[in-house]
Amino acid sequence: MIYLDYSATTPVSYEVLDTISKVTKEFIGNANSIHSLGKKSADLLESATKQIADIFGVNSNEIVYTSGATEANNMALIGVAMAHHKKGKHIIVSKLEHPSIYAICDYLKSIGFIIDYVNNDQEGLIDFDDLKEKVREDTILVSICAVNSETGVRQPLKMIRQIIKKENIATIFHSDMTQAIGKVPVNFHDVDLASMSAHKIFGSKGIGFLYKSSMVKITPLIYGSGKSNDLKPGTPPLPLIAALSKAVRLACNDLEKRERFVGLLNDKIVNVMEKYPNIKINKTKYSIPHILNISIMNVMPETMIHALEKYEIYVSTNTACASGEVSHSVAAIYDDVKRSKHTIRISLSYVTTTEEVNKFLSIFKEVYEKLSMVR
Amino acid sequence: MKHIIIIKYGELSTKKDNINYFLKSLKNNISNNLSDIKHTITYDFGRMFIEVNEEDIEKTVERLKCIFGIHEVIVGYISDEREITNIKEHVLELIKDKEFKTFKVVTKRSDKNYPINSMEVSRTIGGHILKNIEGISVDVHNPELLVSVEIRKNEVLYYFNGLSGLGGYPVGTLGKGLLMLSGGIDSPVAGYLTIKRGVKIEGIYFESPPHTSEFAKEKVIKLSRVLAKYNSQVKLHVINFTHIQEEILKNIPHEYLITIMRRMMYRISAIIAHNNKCNILVNGESIGQVASQTLTSMRVINEVVKMPVIRPVACFDKLEIIDLAKKIGTYDISTLPYEDCCTIFVPDHPVINPSSIKAQEYEKLIPYKELIHEAIKGHEVICVGVEEDKTYEDIL
Repeated sequence: MIYLDYSATTPVSYEVLDTISKVTKEFIGNANSIHSLGKKSADLLESATKQIADIFGVNSNEIVYTSGATEANNMALIGVAMAHHKKGKHIIVSKLEHPSIYAICDYLKSIGFIIDYVNNDQEGLIDFDDLKEKVREDTILVSICAVNSETGVRQPLKMIRQIIKKENIATIFHSDMTQAIGKVPVNFHDVDLASMSAHKIFGSKGIGFLYKSSMVKITPLIYGSGKSNDLKPGTPPLPLIAALSKAVRLACNDLEKRERFVGLLNDKIVNVMEKYPNIKINKTKYSIPHILNISIMNVMPETMIHALEKYEIYVSTNTACASGEVSHSVAAIYDDVKRSKHTIRISLSYVTTTEEVNKFLSIFKEVYEKLSMVR
Repeated sequence: MKHIIIIKYGELSTKKDNINYFLKSLKNNISNNLSDIKHTITYDFGRMFIEVNEEDIEKTVERLKCIFGIHEVIVGYISDEREITNIKEHVLELIKDKEFKTFKVVTKRSDKNYPINSMEVSRTIGGHILKNIEGISVDVHNPELLVSVEIRKNEVLYYFNGLSGLGGYPVGTLGKGLLMLSGGIDSPVAGYLTIKRGVKIEGIYFESPPHTSEFAKEKVIKLSRVLAKYNSQVKLHVINFTHIQEEILKNIPHEYLITIMRRMMYRISAIIAHNNKCNILVNGESIGQVASQTLTSMRVINEVVKMPVIRPVACFDKLEIIDLAKKIGTYDISTLPYEDCCTIFVPDHPVINPSSIKAQEYEKLIPYKELIHEAIKGHEVICVGVEEDKTYEDIL
């Protein structure tokens, strides 16, 4: 099997799996209980959270566990909207967000919030002038993802923050960092809120977290009891949390070396792909190497995916959460309907081997030539 | 040019004959604190120099900011090029990214054979700076940036404004004290202030299981961990107080519960202090804060021990104590909601002006000497370091 869909999800690494099984077996107490078993679990919870907080240079109480990035995005956007609606109802998002952000925005729109979309340039970067113009006195939130899930374009969050805060110091800045964490360095101090999910970094599905700066107030979406956190009450899923902490630690190791390696693999694929006359590479100079988006203009992407599947090669059309639709991100960057309907996303990881890439390229050639003939 | 960390001493520089003892202690304290960082320390009566690898500088400075006996921490630069042309270029290079409007150059020559005198060197450097950086001026009284240049025998030392240290005396130079740690806000602050004066502290904590939980004890350990940052390590004596407390509750009129309980705690603390060569008891009592901290209460409670009891926060307002607790990082731990043995079994109307004679009479109702002996015999000692001992290496 050649798995090239690491941006959709990753397999759980053995180390992480080991943690899940160990904690499930050995830490049976509820971290909210006051007896010694509960305390044993609470201690592990505290250490796991501290490890994550230390890695990102924030405080433990700024980490809120969620079921994943979608929940974290909900918690952030709706939480800010509910807490600050008296100050304003204006929210800005980019055109390169994950579908979950748009779904939340649709909901917020239905209850009276105003959603504005900031433009981006030809390279996929946020149009700073447009952003500057759009931030108003009643703008309560700006949400811009760190790395776009379809094209891999990475945004300069620090600069974006500076622009936002210069226009309106009270505007809260959220970033969905799901595709960035574990792939490229991130800085939580560039934002007020950040979402992530463990299953993109060889952790388990069903766990992620929202970073919430202690300076920011948001309204909880979920109500209940338990001392762990006001925003996410209830019994903390300790095996998943410990696994998340480990996955974060492992993923943030040697980031730069790994990124360089993935860069070489990416170059290798691009060098071959750009020779095909009917294939367009949807890559700008701000794309991270882990995500490579191409448009095969003369073959339907679904056909390509199923054809490759026969050889146990797995790639995707665009982001898994929006499969089957037009790639909004490619449309936002290239303004070309056909190009954005024909996208294939090849996503790489540091565990991808050169051999896998070579094999993929040769099978791709075979499949592509066959499919081109059909049309 | 390489970095060098310069330390200026706090109050200890006023010591005369025994200054060496203080300096040696400071050096040892720093050495212990930096045990995991490769470093060399040299010192004279004016200051201390610490050399570490380039990548450890930030970490070292952070640690030094938590060591008592240090007035100022300065990151300086050292170079072996002693020509005046080199010196002025180096200064310019070092300050060109700093933000300042006014400056002053101070030069010292410990090598008096250097051909140019100090005033002249300062003037040359100052002139060079003015020529090359726009919009700044010299202010000899209140400069924003103080440029210090020291010409030594084989090298030149450069440094600028430093970061303030904690002051105080090197920990341990004044002996040891036993801190009564309850888990509240006041006692850790009292401990901190005592450490500041050069007293190494040990802690004593009274637990009352099952009336108090493991969490409460854990909280005290956490507080000790914070204090260990300043104290290098805190030896924590944990006394099982359950039996005594239950006997008091059963036999003693309720308005005197707290008075008698505190008297027992003082007695036990004094014995533990004596056994561990601590010269003083330290606690977080603040005048008038609660019934046991009125002046009469203090007198009646205090009279059971002979050694001095230091109450560093006695005259602080609660808000002042809270501010300090936040600054040293104990506030968030202190406010965790676990009961300690002073807060369980609080009578509705504790006596505000207890009488010494009554207290003595009431105490006769319980076999307190035996109870104290029993509690001390079984006491637990925990050595609390800065780092958590529990690691989950295989799990996390």
